[in-house]
Amino acid sequence: MQEDATNVLFELLHDELISYVYSNDIDMKSKQISILESHGFRIGQSLAEQLTKDSSRFKDELEIMKFVCRDFWSAMYQKQVDNLRTNHQGVYVLQDNCFKLLKRISSGKQYLEFAPRFLAIPCGFVRGALANLGINSIVTAEVISMPAVKFQIMIQRV
Amino acid sequence: MTIHLLHIYDRNGNSLFAKEWSRKKSSNLTKVEEQKLLFGMIHSIKSFVTKMSPKDGKEGFISYTTSRYKIHFYESPTGLKFILLTDIFVGNIRETMKKLYSSVYVEFVVRNPLCPLNEPIRSSLFETKLETFMTGLSFFEDSN
Amino acid sequence: MSKQTRAFDNKKLVGELFTLTYGALVSQLIKDYEKDEEVNKQLDKMGYNIGIRLVEDFMARSNMGKCQDFRETADVLAKMAFKMYLNITPTIANWSPANDEFSLMLDNNPLVEFVELPEDRSKLNYSNVLCGAVRGALEMLQLEVEAWFPRDSLKGDNVTELRIKFIRKLTDALPAGED
Repeated sequence: MQEDATNVLFELLHDELISYVYSNDIDMKSKQISILESHGFRIGQSLAEQLTKDSSRFKDELEIMKFVCRDFWSAMYQKQVDNLRTNHQGVYVLQDNCFKLLKRISSGKQYLEFAPRFLAIPCGFVRGALANLGINSIVTAEVISMPAVKFQIMIQRV
Repeated sequence: MTIHLLHIYDRNGNSLFAKEWSRKKSSNLTKVEEQKLLFGMIHSIKSFVTKMSPKDGKEGFISYTTSRYKIHFYESPTGLKFILLTDIFVGNIRETMKKLYSSVYVEFVVRNPLCPLNEPIRSSLFETKLETFMTGLSFFEDSN
Repeated sequence: MSKQTRAFDNKKLVGELFTLTYGALVSQLIKDYEKDEEVNKQLDKMGYNIGIRLVEDFMARSNMGKCQDFRETADVLAKMAFKMYLNITPTIANWSPANDEFSLMLDNNPLVEFVELPEDRSKLNYSNVLCGAVRGALEMLQLEVEAWFPRDSLKGDNVTELRIKFIRKLTDALPAGED
Protein backbone atom coordinates (compact mmCIF):
# COMPACT_ATOMS: atom_id res chain seq x y z
CA MET A 1 0.00 0.00 0.00
CA GLN A 2 1.30 3.43 -0.88
CA GLU A 3 1.96 5.80 1.96
CA ASP A 4 -0.57 8.52 2.57
CA ALA A 5 0.54 11.70 0.81
CA THR A 6 -0.36 13.96 3.75
CA ASN A 7 2.19 12.01 5.75
CA VAL A 8 4.92 13.13 3.40
CA LEU A 9 3.79 16.68 3.91
CA PHE A 10 3.84 16.19 7.69
CA GLU A 11 7.37 14.83 7.57
CA LEU A 12 8.62 17.73 5.46
CA LEU A 13 7.00 20.18 7.85
CA HIS A 14 8.49 18.34 10.81
CA ASP A 15 11.92 18.64 9.18
CA GLU A 16 11.43 22.37 8.59
CA LEU A 17 10.46 22.94 12.21
CA ILE A 18 13.61 21.14 13.30
CA SER A 19 15.95 22.96 10.97
CA TYR A 20 14.35 26.27 11.90
CA VAL A 21 14.83 25.67 15.62
CA TYR A 22 18.40 24.54 14.98
CA SER A 23 19.17 27.53 12.79
CA ASN A 24 18.40 29.91 15.62
CA ASP A 25 21.22 31.28 17.65
CA ILE A 26 20.81 29.24 20.75
CA ASP A 27 24.05 28.18 22.33
CA MET A 28 22.74 25.23 24.28
CA LYS A 29 21.78 22.10 22.41
CA SER A 30 19.49 20.98 25.21
CA LYS A 31 17.45 24.16 24.70
CA GLN A 32 16.67 23.26 21.11
CA ILE A 33 15.67 19.74 22.05
CA SER A 34 13.42 21.06 24.78
CA ILE A 35 11.70 23.57 22.46
CA LEU A 36 10.95 20.78 19.99
CA GLU A 37 9.91 18.40 22.75
CA SER A 38 7.39 20.84 24.14
CA HIS A 39 5.83 21.34 20.71
CA GLY A 40 5.58 17.57 20.44
CA PHE A 41 3.99 17.48 23.88
CA ARG A 42 1.13 19.77 22.89
CA ILE A 43 0.54 17.95 19.62
CA GLY A 44 0.60 14.56 21.37
CA GLN A 45 -1.91 15.79 23.92
CA SER A 46 -4.40 16.93 21.28
CA LEU A 47 -4.06 13.79 19.23
CA ALA A 48 -4.48 11.47 22.21
CA GLU A 49 -7.59 13.45 23.02
CA GLN A 50 -8.95 12.74 19.54
CA LEU A 51 -8.03 9.08 19.73
CA THR A 52 -9.56 8.34 23.10
CA LYS A 53 -12.61 10.54 22.66
CA ASP A 54 -15.15 7.78 22.42
CA SER A 55 -13.48 5.01 24.32
CA SER A 56 -13.97 3.97 27.90
CA ARG A 57 -11.45 4.62 30.63
CA PHE A 58 -8.37 2.50 30.82
CA LYS A 59 -8.11 -0.11 33.54
CA ASP A 60 -4.54 0.59 34.60
CA GLU A 61 -1.21 2.04 33.61
CA LEU A 62 -0.23 -1.00 31.56
CA GLU A 63 -3.41 -0.69 29.53
CA ILE A 64 -2.51 2.89 28.73
CA MET A 65 0.98 1.81 27.66
CA LYS A 66 -0.52 -0.80 25.40
CA PHE A 67 -2.75 1.87 23.91
CA VAL A 68 0.31 4.00 23.19
CA CYS A 69 2.16 1.06 21.64
CA ARG A 70 -0.69 -0.04 19.42
CA ASP A 71 -3.26 2.61 18.65
CA PHE A 72 -1.26 5.77 19.14
CA TRP A 73 1.75 4.39 17.27
CA SER A 74 -0.39 3.09 14.40
CA ALA A 75 -2.09 6.42 14.06
CA MET A 76 1.17 8.35 14.03
CA TYR A 77 3.53 5.99 12.27
CA GLN A 78 1.32 3.35 10.60
CA LYS A 79 2.95 0.57 12.56
CA GLN A 80 2.99 -0.67 16.13
CA VAL A 81 5.79 -0.62 18.66
CA ASP A 82 7.77 -3.86 18.30
CA ASN A 83 8.44 -4.49 21.95
CA LEU A 84 7.21 -3.18 25.30
CA ARG A 85 9.05 -3.87 28.53
CA THR A 86 8.65 -2.68 32.08
CA ASN A 87 10.51 -3.07 35.35
CA HIS A 88 7.16 -2.83 37.17
CA GLN A 89 8.50 0.17 39.04
CA GLY A 90 7.36 2.88 36.71
CA VAL A 91 9.85 2.46 33.91
CA TYR A 92 8.67 1.36 30.48
CA VAL A 93 10.78 0.80 27.40
CA LEU A 94 9.15 0.97 23.98
CA GLN A 95 11.27 -0.42 21.22
CA ASP A 96 10.60 0.43 17.60
CA ASN A 97 12.96 -1.48 15.33
CA CYS A 98 12.28 0.67 12.32
CA PHE A 99 11.24 4.10 13.46
CA LYS A 100 9.42 5.95 10.70
CA LEU A 101 11.16 9.28 11.06
CA LEU A 102 14.60 7.69 10.85
CA LYS A 103 14.14 4.94 8.32
CA ARG A 104 15.01 7.06 5.29
CA ILE A 105 17.94 8.74 6.99
CA SER A 106 20.24 5.88 7.80
CA SER A 107 20.59 2.22 8.51
CA GLY A 108 23.49 2.08 10.90
CA LYS A 109 25.71 4.72 12.38
CA GLN A 110 25.89 7.31 9.60
CA TYR A 111 24.27 10.58 10.75
CA LEU A 112 23.87 9.11 14.26
CA GLU A 113 24.78 12.46 15.82
CA PHE A 114 21.65 13.93 14.21
CA ALA A 115 19.27 11.32 15.62
CA PRO A 116 18.34 13.30 18.79
CA ARG A 117 16.84 16.18 16.84
CA PHE A 118 14.52 13.82 14.95
CA LEU A 119 13.40 12.18 18.19
CA ALA A 120 12.66 15.29 20.24
CA ILE A 121 9.18 15.84 18.86
CA PRO A 122 8.28 12.12 19.00
CA CYS A 123 9.36 12.02 22.68
CA GLY A 124 7.03 14.95 23.23
CA PHE A 125 4.25 13.09 21.43
CA VAL A 126 4.50 10.23 23.91
CA ARG A 127 4.73 12.47 26.97
CA GLY A 128 1.77 14.50 25.70
CA ALA A 129 -0.36 11.46 24.98
CA LEU A 130 0.35 10.06 28.44
CA ALA A 131 -0.36 13.42 30.09
CA ASN A 132 -3.70 13.49 28.36
CA LEU A 133 -4.45 10.11 29.93
CA GLY A 134 -3.44 11.33 33.37
CA ILE A 135 0.13 10.10 33.56
CA ASN A 136 3.05 12.42 34.22
CA SER A 137 6.27 11.16 32.77
CA ILE A 138 9.72 11.89 31.43
CA VAL A 139 10.38 10.43 28.01
CA THR A 140 13.82 10.00 26.47
CA ALA A 141 15.03 8.18 23.40
CA GLU A 142 18.10 6.13 22.75
CA VAL A 143 19.54 5.09 19.41
CA ILE A 144 22.46 2.77 18.98
CA SER A 145 21.98 1.95 15.35
CA MET A 146 19.41 3.61 13.12
CA PRO A 147 16.55 3.22 12.43
CA ALA A 148 15.90 1.35 15.72
CA VAL A 149 14.88 3.48 18.71
CA LYS A 150 14.24 2.76 22.36
CA PHE A 151 11.89 5.19 24.03
CA GLN A 152 12.19 5.15 27.78
CA ILE A 153 9.26 6.34 29.84
CA MET A 154 9.76 7.16 33.49
CA ILE A 155 6.50 7.65 35.31
CA GLN A 156 6.60 10.61 37.68
CA ARG A 157 4.51 9.99 40.76
CA VAL A 158 3.93 12.96 42.95
CA MET B 1 23.73 -8.47 -20.01
CA THR B 2 25.71 -5.99 -17.99
CA ILE B 3 25.45 -2.62 -16.35
CA HIS B 4 28.62 -0.57 -16.59
CA LEU B 5 27.88 2.70 -14.88
CA LEU B 6 25.27 5.06 -13.53
CA HIS B 7 25.43 8.80 -13.38
CA ILE B 8 22.99 11.22 -11.76
CA TYR B 9 23.08 14.96 -12.48
CA ASP B 10 21.02 17.81 -11.15
CA ARG B 11 19.24 20.21 -13.50
CA ASN B 12 22.29 22.38 -13.84
CA GLY B 13 24.62 19.57 -14.76
CA ASN B 14 26.28 19.16 -11.40
CA SER B 15 27.16 15.57 -10.73
CA LEU B 16 25.20 14.21 -7.76
CA PHE B 17 26.22 10.61 -7.89
CA ALA B 18 28.27 8.19 -9.97
CA LYS B 19 28.91 4.53 -9.64
CA GLU B 20 30.63 1.92 -11.76
CA TRP B 21 29.88 -1.78 -11.75
CA SER B 22 31.78 -3.69 -14.36
CA ARG B 23 33.96 -1.48 -16.41
CA LYS B 24 37.05 -3.09 -17.79
CA LYS B 25 38.46 -0.14 -19.66
CA SER B 26 38.71 3.36 -18.32
CA SER B 27 38.15 6.46 -20.42
CA ASN B 28 41.57 7.79 -19.40
CA LEU B 29 39.92 10.99 -18.29
CA THR B 30 39.84 12.37 -14.81
CA LYS B 31 36.57 11.78 -13.01
CA VAL B 32 35.59 15.41 -13.25
CA GLU B 33 36.45 15.63 -16.95
CA GLU B 34 34.47 12.52 -17.71
CA GLN B 35 31.48 13.79 -15.76
CA LYS B 36 31.54 17.10 -17.58
CA LEU B 37 32.00 15.59 -21.02
CA LEU B 38 29.29 13.01 -20.46
CA PHE B 39 26.84 15.65 -19.34
CA GLY B 40 27.80 17.99 -22.17
CA MET B 41 27.31 15.27 -24.75
CA ILE B 42 23.96 14.18 -23.34
CA HIS B 43 22.83 17.78 -23.16
CA SER B 44 23.75 18.38 -26.82
CA ILE B 45 22.16 15.16 -28.05
CA LYS B 46 19.02 15.92 -26.09
CA SER B 47 18.56 19.41 -27.47
CA PHE B 48 19.44 18.41 -31.02
CA VAL B 49 17.12 15.39 -30.94
CA THR B 50 14.29 17.68 -29.86
CA LYS B 51 15.13 20.22 -32.59
CA MET B 52 15.16 17.59 -35.31
CA SER B 53 11.85 16.04 -34.30
CA PRO B 54 9.26 16.38 -37.07
CA LYS B 55 6.50 16.42 -34.45
CA ASP B 56 6.13 17.81 -30.96
CA GLY B 57 6.67 14.99 -28.55
CA LYS B 58 6.95 14.69 -24.84
CA GLU B 59 9.92 12.41 -24.74
CA GLY B 60 12.85 13.07 -26.98
CA PHE B 61 16.15 11.36 -26.40
CA ILE B 62 15.83 7.96 -24.73
CA SER B 63 18.95 5.99 -25.62
CA TYR B 64 21.74 5.54 -28.11
CA THR B 65 23.69 2.46 -29.04
CA THR B 66 27.21 1.92 -30.32
CA SER B 67 28.69 -1.41 -31.30
CA ARG B 68 30.00 -1.81 -27.75
CA TYR B 69 27.61 -0.15 -25.34
CA LYS B 70 24.27 1.54 -24.89
CA ILE B 71 23.43 4.73 -23.03
CA HIS B 72 19.98 5.07 -21.47
CA PHE B 73 18.75 8.49 -20.49
CA TYR B 74 15.88 9.52 -18.23
CA GLU B 75 15.07 13.04 -17.17
CA SER B 76 12.53 13.65 -14.41
CA PRO B 77 10.02 16.48 -14.92
CA THR B 78 12.08 18.35 -12.35
CA GLY B 79 15.17 18.14 -14.52
CA LEU B 80 17.16 15.43 -12.76
CA LYS B 81 19.12 13.38 -15.24
CA PHE B 82 19.82 9.68 -14.91
CA ILE B 83 22.32 8.14 -17.27
CA LEU B 84 22.90 4.42 -17.34
CA LEU B 85 25.55 2.76 -19.45
CA THR B 86 24.91 -0.89 -20.25
CA ASP B 87 25.92 -3.42 -22.86
CA ILE B 88 24.00 -3.44 -26.13
CA PHE B 89 21.71 -6.32 -25.28
CA VAL B 90 19.60 -4.38 -22.80
CA GLY B 91 16.30 -3.33 -24.36
CA ASN B 92 14.03 -0.40 -23.53
CA ILE B 93 14.34 0.23 -19.79
CA ARG B 94 12.32 3.45 -19.54
CA GLU B 95 10.16 2.08 -16.71
CA THR B 96 13.21 0.88 -14.81
CA MET B 97 14.76 4.33 -15.08
CA LYS B 98 11.58 5.94 -13.80
CA LYS B 99 11.52 3.52 -10.93
CA LEU B 100 15.10 4.33 -10.07
CA TYR B 101 14.00 7.95 -9.77
CA SER B 102 10.77 7.38 -7.87
CA SER B 103 11.60 4.53 -5.53
CA VAL B 104 15.28 5.09 -4.89
CA TYR B 105 16.13 8.75 -5.45
CA VAL B 106 12.88 10.27 -4.18
CA GLU B 107 12.61 7.83 -1.27
CA PHE B 108 16.15 8.03 0.01
CA VAL B 109 17.46 11.41 -1.08
CA VAL B 110 14.46 13.73 -1.34
CA ARG B 111 12.91 12.29 1.80
CA ASN B 112 16.11 12.27 3.79
CA PRO B 113 16.24 15.68 5.46
CA LEU B 114 20.01 15.34 5.84
CA CYS B 115 20.55 15.09 2.07
CA PRO B 116 20.75 18.54 0.47
CA LEU B 117 19.21 18.34 -3.00
CA ASN B 118 21.93 20.13 -4.92
CA GLU B 119 25.00 18.49 -3.47
CA PRO B 120 26.67 15.16 -4.16
CA ILE B 121 24.81 12.36 -2.42
CA ARG B 122 26.65 11.10 0.65
CA SER B 123 24.02 8.89 2.22
CA SER B 124 25.19 5.31 2.55
CA LEU B 125 21.57 4.19 2.94
CA PHE B 126 20.93 5.56 -0.55
CA GLU B 127 23.92 3.60 -1.85
CA THR B 128 22.71 0.42 -0.20
CA LYS B 129 19.21 0.82 -1.61
CA LEU B 130 20.58 1.65 -5.03
CA GLU B 131 22.79 -1.43 -4.98
CA THR B 132 19.81 -3.61 -4.03
CA PHE B 133 17.79 -2.05 -6.82
CA MET B 134 20.47 -2.50 -9.46
CA THR B 135 21.54 -6.00 -8.54
CA GLY B 136 17.89 -7.00 -8.51
CA LEU B 137 17.41 -6.01 -12.14
CA SER B 138 17.04 -8.87 -14.59
CA PHE B 139 19.82 -7.48 -16.76
CA PHE B 140 22.31 -6.98 -13.98
CA GLU B 141 25.19 -9.35 -14.21
CA ASP B 142 28.12 -9.13 -11.90
CA SER B 143 31.08 -9.97 -14.05
CA ASN B 144 33.69 -8.72 -11.62
CA MET C 1 -7.30 -7.47 26.68
CA SER C 2 -10.42 -5.62 27.56
CA LYS C 3 -9.76 -3.05 24.89
CA GLN C 4 -10.28 -3.62 21.24
CA THR C 5 -8.05 -1.99 18.71
CA ARG C 6 -10.18 0.78 17.36
CA ALA C 7 -10.30 1.63 13.73
CA PHE C 8 -9.47 5.28 13.36
CA ASP C 9 -10.04 7.48 10.44
CA ASN C 10 -6.35 7.54 9.71
CA LYS C 11 -6.51 10.00 6.87
CA LYS C 12 -8.24 12.47 9.16
CA LEU C 13 -5.78 11.90 11.95
CA VAL C 14 -2.74 12.42 9.75
CA GLY C 15 -4.38 15.61 8.54
CA GLU C 16 -4.76 16.74 12.13
CA LEU C 17 -1.18 15.83 12.92
CA PHE C 18 -0.13 18.04 10.02
CA THR C 19 -2.38 20.93 11.06
CA LEU C 20 -1.21 20.79 14.67
CA THR C 21 2.43 20.65 13.64
CA TYR C 22 1.89 23.67 11.44
CA GLY C 23 0.29 25.45 14.37
CA ALA C 24 3.35 24.66 16.46
CA LEU C 25 5.61 26.08 13.77
CA VAL C 26 3.66 29.32 13.48
CA SER C 27 3.50 29.72 17.26
CA GLN C 28 7.27 29.33 17.44
CA LEU C 29 7.76 32.00 14.78
CA ILE C 30 5.34 34.36 16.49
CA LYS C 31 7.34 33.92 19.65
CA ASP C 32 10.64 34.57 17.89
CA TYR C 33 9.63 37.49 15.66
CA GLU C 34 7.78 40.62 16.63
CA LYS C 35 6.99 41.71 13.12
CA ASP C 36 4.34 39.88 11.13
CA GLU C 37 6.26 40.59 7.95
CA GLU C 38 9.19 38.59 9.30
CA VAL C 39 6.96 35.68 10.21
CA ASN C 40 5.42 35.77 6.74
CA LYS C 41 8.87 35.74 5.20
CA GLN C 42 9.98 32.77 7.27
CA LEU C 43 6.82 30.84 6.43
CA ASP C 44 7.33 31.52 2.76
CA LYS C 45 10.93 30.35 2.96
CA MET C 46 9.97 27.15 4.75
CA GLY C 47 7.20 26.58 2.25
CA TYR C 48 9.76 26.90 -0.52
CA ASN C 49 11.97 24.27 1.12
CA ILE C 50 8.96 21.97 1.41
CA GLY C 51 7.85 22.67 -2.15
CA ILE C 52 11.13 21.75 -3.79
CA ARG C 53 11.03 18.32 -2.15
CA LEU C 54 7.30 17.77 -2.34
CA VAL C 55 7.28 18.26 -6.11
CA GLU C 56 9.61 15.27 -6.48
CA ASP C 57 7.30 13.14 -4.37
CA PHE C 58 4.37 14.36 -6.45
CA MET C 59 6.09 13.41 -9.70
CA ALA C 60 7.05 10.01 -8.31
CA ARG C 61 3.45 9.34 -7.26
CA SER C 62 1.56 10.79 -10.16
CA ASN C 63 3.82 9.73 -13.00
CA MET C 64 3.01 13.09 -14.60
CA GLY C 65 5.05 14.83 -17.24
CA LYS C 66 5.55 18.53 -17.56
CA CYS C 67 2.49 20.68 -18.12
CA GLN C 68 1.94 22.08 -21.60
CA ASP C 69 0.66 25.47 -20.48
CA PHE C 70 -0.22 27.51 -17.42
CA ARG C 71 -3.88 26.45 -17.58
CA GLU C 72 -2.85 22.84 -17.22
CA THR C 73 -0.54 23.81 -14.35
CA ALA C 74 -3.51 25.38 -12.55
CA ASP C 75 -5.56 22.24 -13.08
CA VAL C 76 -2.87 19.88 -11.84
CA LEU C 77 -2.21 22.06 -8.79
CA ALA C 78 -5.85 22.29 -7.76
CA LYS C 79 -7.19 18.90 -8.74
CA MET C 80 -4.20 16.71 -8.08
CA ALA C 81 -1.60 18.30 -5.79
CA PHE C 82 -3.92 20.04 -3.32
CA LYS C 83 -6.20 17.04 -3.36
CA MET C 84 -3.40 14.58 -2.77
CA TYR C 85 -1.58 16.38 0.03
CA LEU C 86 -4.23 18.52 1.72
CA ASN C 87 -7.35 16.59 0.77
CA ILE C 88 -9.06 19.68 -0.61
CA THR C 89 -9.85 20.72 -4.18
CA PRO C 90 -9.73 24.49 -4.53
CA THR C 91 -11.77 26.15 -7.25
CA ILE C 92 -9.78 27.81 -10.00
CA ALA C 93 -11.01 31.35 -10.60
CA ASN C 94 -10.23 34.88 -11.74
CA TRP C 95 -8.00 34.16 -14.72
CA SER C 96 -6.28 37.28 -15.98
CA PRO C 97 -7.01 38.16 -19.64
CA ALA C 98 -3.46 37.17 -20.59
CA ASN C 99 -3.88 33.77 -18.92
CA ASP C 100 -0.85 34.38 -16.77
CA GLU C 101 -2.54 34.80 -13.42
CA PHE C 102 -5.19 32.81 -11.57
CA SER C 103 -6.57 32.20 -8.11
CA LEU C 104 -7.16 29.10 -6.07
CA MET C 105 -10.20 29.56 -3.86
CA LEU C 106 -9.86 27.54 -0.66
CA ASP C 107 -13.34 26.96 0.69
CA ASN C 108 -11.93 25.22 3.67
CA ASN C 109 -8.32 25.61 4.54
CA PRO C 110 -7.00 22.67 6.59
CA LEU C 111 -4.14 24.77 7.98
CA VAL C 112 -6.47 27.00 9.97
CA GLU C 113 -8.78 24.37 11.39
CA PHE C 114 -8.03 25.22 15.02
CA VAL C 115 -6.89 28.81 14.57
CA GLU C 116 -8.01 32.24 15.53
CA LEU C 117 -5.74 35.11 14.64
CA PRO C 118 -4.73 37.27 17.63
CA GLU C 119 -5.86 40.90 17.28
CA ASP C 120 -2.34 42.31 17.31
CA ARG C 121 -1.26 40.06 14.47
CA SER C 122 -3.33 41.62 11.72
CA LYS C 123 -0.60 41.49 9.09
CA LEU C 124 0.18 37.83 9.64
CA ASN C 125 -0.49 35.64 6.63
CA TYR C 126 -1.06 32.50 8.60
CA SER C 127 -1.07 30.14 5.61
CA ASN C 128 1.92 31.73 3.88
CA VAL C 129 3.68 28.38 3.79
CA LEU C 130 1.40 27.51 0.86
CA CYS C 131 2.73 30.45 -1.18
CA GLY C 132 6.28 29.27 -0.68
CA ALA C 133 5.42 25.65 -1.39
CA VAL C 134 3.71 26.50 -4.69
CA ARG C 135 6.57 28.79 -5.65
CA GLY C 136 9.21 26.18 -4.80
CA ALA C 137 7.43 23.32 -6.52
CA LEU C 138 6.82 25.26 -9.73
CA GLU C 139 10.36 26.58 -9.78
CA MET C 140 11.58 22.99 -9.96
CA LEU C 141 9.40 22.67 -13.06
CA GLN C 142 11.08 25.74 -14.52
CA LEU C 143 8.20 28.09 -13.86
CA GLU C 144 8.95 31.20 -11.88
CA VAL C 145 5.80 32.42 -10.17
CA GLU C 146 4.68 34.81 -7.48
CA ALA C 147 2.11 33.60 -4.99
CA TRP C 148 0.25 35.53 -2.31
CA PHE C 149 -3.03 35.73 -0.38
CA PRO C 150 -5.15 38.70 -1.48
CA ARG C 151 -7.98 37.47 0.74
CA ASP C 152 -7.97 35.34 3.86
CA SER C 153 -10.95 34.07 5.82
CA LEU C 154 -8.87 34.37 8.99
CA LYS C 155 -8.90 38.12 8.44
CA GLY C 156 -12.62 38.33 7.99
CA ASP C 157 -12.81 37.85 4.22
CA ASN C 158 -15.53 35.51 3.09
CA VAL C 159 -13.08 33.33 1.21
CA THR C 160 -9.39 32.44 1.21
CA GLU C 161 -7.83 33.26 -2.12
CA LEU C 162 -4.37 32.14 -3.17
CA ARG C 163 -3.24 34.14 -6.19
CA ILE C 164 -0.57 32.76 -8.50
CA LYS C 165 1.14 34.85 -11.15
CA PHE C 166 3.39 33.54 -13.88
CA ILE C 167 6.64 35.51 -14.11
CA ARG C 168 8.83 33.63 -16.59
CA LYS C 169 10.04 30.30 -17.81
CA LEU C 170 13.39 29.32 -16.39
CA THR C 171 16.11 27.57 -18.32
CA ASP C 172 18.68 25.13 -17.01
CA ALA C 173 22.05 26.63 -16.36
CA LEU C 174 24.96 24.72 -17.79
CA PRO C 175 28.07 24.17 -15.73
CA ALA C 176 30.80 26.67 -16.55
CA GLY C 177 32.96 25.85 -19.52
CA GLU C 178 30.39 23.69 -21.25
CA ASP C 179 29.71 25.75 -24.35
